[in-house]
Amino acid sequence: MPDGPAYIIVIGAGKVGFYLTRHLLQSGYEVALIEKDPTRASLVAAQLGTGSCLVGDGDEMAFLATSGIERADVVAAVTGDDEDNLVACQLAKRQFHVPKTVARVNNPRNVQLFHQLGVDVAVSATELILGVIETGLASHGDVLEISISGSESSLVRVTVPVGPATGRQMSEIAELAHERVLLLVRDGREMPLDTPLETGDQIVMFTARPVSDFSLEAPSLAAIGVR
Amino acid sequence: MGCGRVGSTLARDLAGEGHAVTIVDISRRAFERLGEGFTGQVVLGSGTDQEVLEQAGASDADCFISVTNGDNRNIMSAQIAREIFSIPRVMTRIYDPIRAKVYREIGLYTYCPTEIGAAIARTFFAAGAEEADRPLRAIAPAGVPAGA
Repeated sequence: MPDGPAYIIVIGAGKVGFYLTRHLLQSGYEVALIEKDPTRASLVAAQLGTGSCLVGDGDEMAFLATSGIERADVVAAVTGDDEDNLVACQLAKRQFHVPKTVARVNNPRNVQLFHQLGVDVAVSATELILGVIETGLASHGDVLEISISGSESSLVRVTVPVGPATGRQMSEIAELAHERVLLLVRDGREMPLDTPLETGDQIVMFTARPVSDFSLEAPSLAAIGVR
Repeated sequence: MGCGRVGSTLARDLAGEGHAVTIVDISRRAFERLGEGFTGQVVLGSGTDQEVLEQAGASDADCFISVTNGDNRNIMSAQIAREIFSIPRVMTRIYDPIRAKVYREIGLYTYCPTEIGAAIARTFFAAGAEEADRPLRAIAPAGVPAGA
């Protein structure tokens, strides 16, 4: 690493980009967050409290050149569109010789493709979550949410804590009847959806609400005893 | 890939000449542009999705052309066609001249309507309609007046 903190460019100020940038800033990195929607950019800039949010297209070369990209140590493209993330990383690599490019991959099948096309690190949230579910490494009482790009929907995974839900079937819990429960996982194995719940079970459900709304107000979470 | 004005016109022409054509679009309504009697195959789905391309027969294709209205979608699907499916002839449309230049450099056959449109207008400005039509007469006679 050269003198001073590393310079990181984050492309896409959605939820992933916002929290990533905030975390990187708190860790002392120099960060520029690039967002093409001016309304979203000004909202995010106000929340981050710095001048680190630039309004522009992360795939527009003329704009990238103004962001100091040629001295960036890392470019992380984390929009909800795989094609935009791919092109942003390829331009960063080929035109601006950025040493490390990171892409968020929405369709897990693209992980291999992105590597093949020159992206250094391709991260698929779907794969990560699947990994966590399959290895049963989840902590207790938590809620994990993934927004589904291009929609107001999300995927939510809840770990059942000691509480009101244990010993009951999901169908007996009225608040859960509104949710589309996709999976019940116990010790890494998928269980029938009518199995009485136990502490540590993981419920994966689809909800038509965006992530932030869900955790704040979902009655189904309260019914399980999470909130 | 992409059943817009260009994609649908091209698919209809090539199918009419007897080629086996498959056209992919994410909108079912886009296929209405093909009109009655289209003899090719249509596949509903995203052309940047490898499974959709597989379903469209990309493994056996001789030629792949991406003409959706998104530069990055065209770029990505063209690279999938070339790298994953090893389609021998791949062509893509990129409106942004700078991006077009980058992908030309890595060997994608790229056409940029912005450059072509500007070049024709420049020729018309400098030398008039006859000169501007000259290159078009060879490749797109339907698009220019007959005669001369």
